[in-house]
Amino acid sequence: MWMLGAILLPIAGGGLLSLWRPQNETARQSYVLGIACLTAVLSLAALFTQYGEEPTVFLHLGGHLSVALQVDGLSCIFGAMVSLLWPLACLYALEYMTAEGGENRFFTFYLAAFGVTLGIAFSANIVTLYFFYELLTLVTLPLVMHAMDGKARYAGRVYLTYSMSGASLGFISMVFLLQYGGSFFRLGGTVEAAGSDLLLAAYVLGFFGFGVKAAVVPGYKWLLRASVAPTPVTALLHAVAVVKSGVFAVVRITWYGFGPELLRGTWAQSVVLAAVLFTIVYGSSKALGTKHLKRRLAWSTISNLSYILLGVALLTPAGLSASLTHLVFHAVLKIILFFGVGAIHYKLHRDFVPDIEGCAPMMPVVFSTFTLSVLGLIGIPPLAGFSSKWLLAIACTSSKTLLGSLGAAALIVSAVLTALYLMQIVLLAYFPRQTRTISVRMVPKRARQDPGLRMTVPLCLLTAVSLALGFGAGAAAQMISDLLFG
Amino acid sequence: MKWLLPVLVFLPMACGPVSYLIGRRWKEGRDGFVLGVTGVELALVLVLLLSPELTFVWEDFCGLGIGFVSGGLHTVLALLAASGWLAATLLSREYFAHVKHRNRYYLFWLFTLGATVGVFLSADLYTTFLFFEVMSFTSYVAVVQTEESEALTAGGTYLAVAVIGGLVTLSGLFLLYRQLGTLQLSEMARAAASAEDKRLLWIGGLLALVGFGAKAGAFPLHIWLPTAHPAAPAPASAVLSGVITKTGVYGVSVLSVTLFLHNGAWGTMLAVLGAVTMVLGAVLAVCSVDLKRTLACSSVSQIGFILVGLSMQCLLGHHNAFAVTGTILHIVNHSLIKMVLFPAAGVIHLSTHSFHLNDIRGFGRGKPLLALVMGIPMLSLAGLPLLNGYVSKTLLHESIVEYAALAGAGVQLVILLEWLFLFSGGLTFAYMLKLFFCIFVEQNILPDKVTRKKWRREGGYIAPVSAGVLLVYAVGMPLLGALPNRMMEPIAAFARPFFHGEAPAHAVAYFSSVNLKGAAISLFIGALVYLLGVRPLLTVPGRAGRREYFDPILGWCNLEYRLYRPALDFLAKTLLIWAVFLDKIGFRLLFRGLPAVFHRMCRWLSDQRGRLVYLLTGEPYIPRPSLEQAVTDQHFGLYADHPHVERGVMHSFAFSLLLTGLGLAFAILFIFLRL
Repeated sequence: MWMLGAILLPIAGGGLLSLWRPQNETARQSYVLGIACLTAVLSLAALFTQYGEEPTVFLHLGGHLSVALQVDGLSCIFGAMVSLLWPLACLYALEYMTAEGGENRFFTFYLAAFGVTLGIAFSANIVTLYFFYELLTLVTLPLVMHAMDGKARYAGRVYLTYSMSGASLGFISMVFLLQYGGSFFRLGGTVEAAGSDLLLAAYVLGFFGFGVKAAVVPGYKWLLRASVAPTPVTALLHAVAVVKSGVFAVVRITWYGFGPELLRGTWAQSVVLAAVLFTIVYGSSKALGTKHLKRRLAWSTISNLSYILLGVALLTPAGLSASLTHLVFHAVLKIILFFGVGAIHYKLHRDFVPDIEGCAPMMPVVFSTFTLSVLGLIGIPPLAGFSSKWLLAIACTSSKTLLGSLGAAALIVSAVLTALYLMQIVLLAYFPRQTRTISVRMVPKRARQDPGLRMTVPLCLLTAVSLALGFGAGAAAQMISDLLFG
Repeated sequence: MKWLLPVLVFLPMACGPVSYLIGRRWKEGRDGFVLGVTGVELALVLVLLLSPELTFVWEDFCGLGIGFVSGGLHTVLALLAASGWLAATLLSREYFAHVKHRNRYYLFWLFTLGATVGVFLSADLYTTFLFFEVMSFTSYVAVVQTEESEALTAGGTYLAVAVIGGLVTLSGLFLLYRQLGTLQLSEMARAAASAEDKRLLWIGGLLALVGFGAKAGAFPLHIWLPTAHPAAPAPASAVLSGVITKTGVYGVSVLSVTLFLHNGAWGTMLAVLGAVTMVLGAVLAVCSVDLKRTLACSSVSQIGFILVGLSMQCLLGHHNAFAVTGTILHIVNHSLIKMVLFPAAGVIHLSTHSFHLNDIRGFGRGKPLLALVMGIPMLSLAGLPLLNGYVSKTLLHESIVEYAALAGAGVQLVILLEWLFLFSGGLTFAYMLKLFFCIFVEQNILPDKVTRKKWRREGGYIAPVSAGVLLVYAVGMPLLGALPNRMMEPIAAFARPFFHGEAPAHAVAYFSSVNLKGAAISLFIGALVYLLGVRPLLTVPGRAGRREYFDPILGWCNLEYRLYRPALDFLAKTLLIWAVFLDKIGFRLLFRGLPAVFHRMCRWLSDQRGRLVYLLTGEPYIPRPSLEQAVTDQHFGLYADHPHVERGVMHSFAFSLLLTGLGLAFAILFIFLRL
């Protein structure tokens, strides 16, 4: 029951907010934070009490179709990550959205998306997963289009188009899984039939269909368009919740649906690996050529999501646990980066890389947390990104396939590019080329400071978490591997 | 006791932020605090020196876990680092009296100290790499401390070489880890000996060498060194040159004594690299007209000497006593010498505000203290007998001679190497003579009256503390050099186990006629080069009938600007062009082309609508206005952010319909097939 509560509470809470429409900021703040924290507590309670139980069926749809929820190792990792990040992002959004307006509408959907994401985490079979997956598209659409100007509407339509197309491909894959597989997900796959080309084709369609949310080539463009959304949305949804739901769904169909045994060494694995490798290098090289801060980070997200998918597609246990480690680490690091960029936009109204020249001394907290995360994401030891990339690369080199070994090379090339496109931001901000006064003089006096506590506290907390993850990476990776493989 | 090792590494790192916080309120307090931390660090390293060999392992830290070990080369290098940092901190106080951003400087100063000690004490290559990377990034701040344009450019080069080199090393470590299953220094030699695929081992080793070699300043990745070291403030360039380059040397040594222990091919490769670096650095130094740049190029050259020593250690196999001792001692000597010369250059800069030889010419006239402090290390590096540099160079030379006696076929090449060695030693003497004569003997182009006024500084040209520190170093050198068997061999004996080296069969007679002859040849070449080369050829007639120095090299053969930057640029551009090509053409074909065909089909069908309706129903088709309107509805594409959207939207919408349709068709087909 905890699971259902965790899914329904934020959806109901969001609905209530849209009816209530409080104009008082304090009231809204306490309400939103209260719902978010309560949901997080409920979901953590579900993780702790119901871990390893049999799936609970809520609705029979005839045959072996059913809506069912369950907590297994994978749900634990994804659910815990989302539950810890959401309340912090809410806190951040509460301050950020004061500048954007339309808070009631925003938080209605922001909260509802929390419940839907948890639904994806807890779903026990492909039908439930598909249901929540489609719902997530619809619930997050108003968030993308929040500004309601031309660009935002266009971005929303692109987002909808891509998601629907992807889901339609995923649907095909679902039909096959229902036909050949069991009723519920099981590690190692439920498909009993021998691997025919038809089944493999269904898997490839499913991979690219669910891969649309994970922004794998060719379905990545919506993520760039979607960067017009307010930063809390870009930070939480387009770096963590939505895109990682895509990754989550891919993990589900790969490891828990079709199963690694069926796919290992087939042409399907090669196709998938090739697309992922391409995306890694392509995303990084495009990031280098992008001047808009949020878009640059979006390209970086595209590249990093493919790191995760690379580990999944290696089809080795080491690869899977490495990729989930990177999923968690990247989530924390990327959300800090987006929060930092959001804070720059909020205080200084600057969105492009050259414009932040010499801005670092004005916002010490924002830029120091930003720098630490940049170093982490590049993979400077001993920060978080290094160990997960190390694990991924080790998994690549020990996969004994040509494309797997190429994966290690792609990781290195991408790391060089990451260093170039992220360090450029930091170096410009701290060590300006022109005299600092010119750049700074254009900023009004009251803007020359860090944003309020509601924004800096999540930043500092998350940075502390990322440092802890980096230093304790061995324990974290071990825990993830234990959760996955029991 | 084993807790001493992590404390040594993490204490300075933890104290960095504290110093920053103190410094925001109380500048003197911060200076004292940083000095205290470096002092404590040195004291702890001394404790380490006296205690037996320690090991410390922190499982789980950062994935693979890190390990530290003391004893041998580890402790000697840690001692060099701690003492160097203490000395440089003492000197910083004078140098930084009126400089901005001191808080930032000291924060990263302590971080770098911890990371450097971490590299030296590392028990496995993973730990080495971890602290190596931290050190690269934290020392960047020291390079760009002044935030001047040249410093930023030099810093950019430094960081680029560090990042790219570091990642290449990392990929080498992946390969090695996969091959060997371990990166522990103590186990790697055995694992490497039993590895099946030697080719992969070589690839891994070479990749790992790139990053370490780059940090050491070995050819062809020395490009960052001659710009970055001069750009940093003097105390920082002292440790950059004296200590941080040694982390690269440490990495190369680790590879040489574990993976390629006594491996002839590896030794030959190192010998070639070392010889090129040695000669190239020396030539650059002779030509340079900037005091600090000369010293930096000299560092490149001396790293070449050390690499030659390492190569001999590999080539000579079990008879490598001279090579091992020489290598260790040259590492120590070079560090000590540069710890004096760079700060001394800083002292000159404090008064003259320049490093250009023509500007600082004659500054040292009538300053015997400065002449003593700079003259001794200069002559020592040139290999004058009775000074410490002579000892290590003699040993290195001896090892080459020894190998020439052993080498069968390629003996000519070994003799060539010996002559290159002597020639580089000569060039060392030549550029040191150039510096010495320029600063202490020659007269400035400006008249005395002008320079006296221009160079005047409140409270003398050097602070007593700085003078004391430099004097201690300078006076130590003749002490070490005069009694090599007593003073220097114990150091080598202490570090020898790291190299699996053997003790010399008999005591070395450093001042025998054979050894003195080598030094004499070298010094003679140097004097000749100075008199016949530097004085007539590297000066041009200037004002007031005095000749001015000029640099014949700058500009026309710069590896960085002629090769690396264009190559990188080319690479980045190709990548971008490739990406744009795919973006504009490949994906457009897929996303626009396919839907466009579909769209055209729909259009054709709708054009044929009348005919179809007539065919099917037999009645003429009258289009309803509402339907027709929908087709040309302009509002559909109104929200777009560029004018051509209509088509794009129609197409992408059509695309989604196409995919949905395809999906349903597949599903239905499948269901039909199944039933």
